[in-house]
Amino acid sequence: MIIGENIHKSFGDLEVLKGVDLHVKPQEVVVLVGVSGSGKSTLLRCFNFLELINEGKITIDGHTIDPKKENLAKVRAEVGMVFQHFNLFPHKTVLENVIEAPLIVKRQKRAEAEKKGRELLEKVGLADKADVYPSKLSGGQKQRVAIARSLAMEPKVMLFDEPTSALDPELVSEVLQVMKQLAEEGMTMVVVTHEMKFAKEVADRIIMIDQGKIIESADPKTFFENPKHERTRQFIQMVE
Amino acid sequence: MPEILVTVYDVLMRTYPGFLEATLVTLQLTAVGVILGTLIGLIFALMKISGSKILQGIANLYITVIRGTPLIVQIMFLYFGISEIYAMPGFWAGAIALGVHNGAYIAEIFRGAIQGVDPGQREASMSLGMNRKQTMQRIVFPQALRRSIPPLGNQFIITLKDSSLVYIIGVAEIFSLANREAAQSFQPFETFLVVALYYLALVMIFTFLLRLYENKLDVDKA
Repeated sequence: MIIGENIHKSFGDLEVLKGVDLHVKPQEVVVLVGVSGSGKSTLLRCFNFLELINEGKITIDGHTIDPKKENLAKVRAEVGMVFQHFNLFPHKTVLENVIEAPLIVKRQKRAEAEKKGRELLEKVGLADKADVYPSKLSGGQKQRVAIARSLAMEPKVMLFDEPTSALDPELVSEVLQVMKQLAEEGMTMVVVTHEMKFAKEVADRIIMIDQGKIIESADPKTFFENPKHERTRQFIQMVE
Repeated sequence: MPEILVTVYDVLMRTYPGFLEATLVTLQLTAVGVILGTLIGLIFALMKISGSKILQGIANLYITVIRGTPLIVQIMFLYFGISEIYAMPGFWAGAIALGVHNGAYIAEIFRGAIQGVDPGQREASMSLGMNRKQTMQRIVFPQALRRSIPPLGNQFIITLKDSSLVYIIGVAEIFSLANREAAQSFQPFETFLVVALYYLALVMIFTFLLRLYENKLDVDKA
């Protein structure tokens, strides 16, 4: 579904990604872990071209993307993204947040978009919040709206950038629950997270990124019980 | 009642028909200045964030020149300078000068408001497949507009008061009438006190309306 080959990304003199190869298969759930500054979020942002890579190749659903020639908006419409800080549109109601892109980008009819939007809000357990503004929601609710908003575009793959890091501890599980449900429904997902329980339970594969490179890629059992790399071992000790 | 209050009251009662007319002119000057200034401000703010070095350069030059020269000079320049080519009525010369002057300040208000919108908003919008134009129109501008309302209101109040400078080219607004009244009546103190009251009343009404509007926006969002 997503193939990244030899991805290099620098910010000025700082090389954040130093040749990353990653192949995410359809319906696979890949969890990216690593200490802060390792480059995991940057990698995620490269996959929907919020950051443009300096070198390498990104293929999405069999289609290699050349950022110079491609209509990036069209590519991004197929790759959902959920942000750490939710980034809901504060001037729009919950339902308006969800139907904005279907109306504007997909040019769906309002009635159709609203019907679909309400279904999605139902799915994330927020049907009763359709007409309130985001400022009235808790962090966990905001993030669930953000997930619904992203799903409304019917993306082929969903990227999650530390979706629970900004939440109070008691609100984390409601968001992870929605993500788990998505994974069970067969959504292809790439998730940057520090929630090791989620990684163990939901991930098909866990990837450890360290100093801009992938140093470990294994199923959860192997990753936690028999990691190859010393840095992975240290990381597991630190988070557990 | 103290003597002074009596005379102020007399001046107020004697002059109010004229002042009400002059107030209308002041409000008209302010309205044109504000509307024109907002349009100009919007255009130059867009130029400043356009990414084109040439457009940015033009906008910067405009803002530097206008902010670096006194309004009264700009009014005189427009009135006498332009009338060499085209005889412009004083009202329009004054109103346009107010608009051009305000445009520079309003451009900076808009630019700050647009750049003050959380970058995460742009990213979220783009991640949903909205292009740059859609993102600006639907996500960034509406939020920027809300942010710019308090400083814009402030700028409008400044415009209202600055419109008094147009007296220099003989437009019959509040201040020019006051000047004439003061000279004719030999009561400059009372006259200018009355004039101050007119401006103060206008500003207070305006501030009140602005606050109503801001509260309404907050209610919408909450």
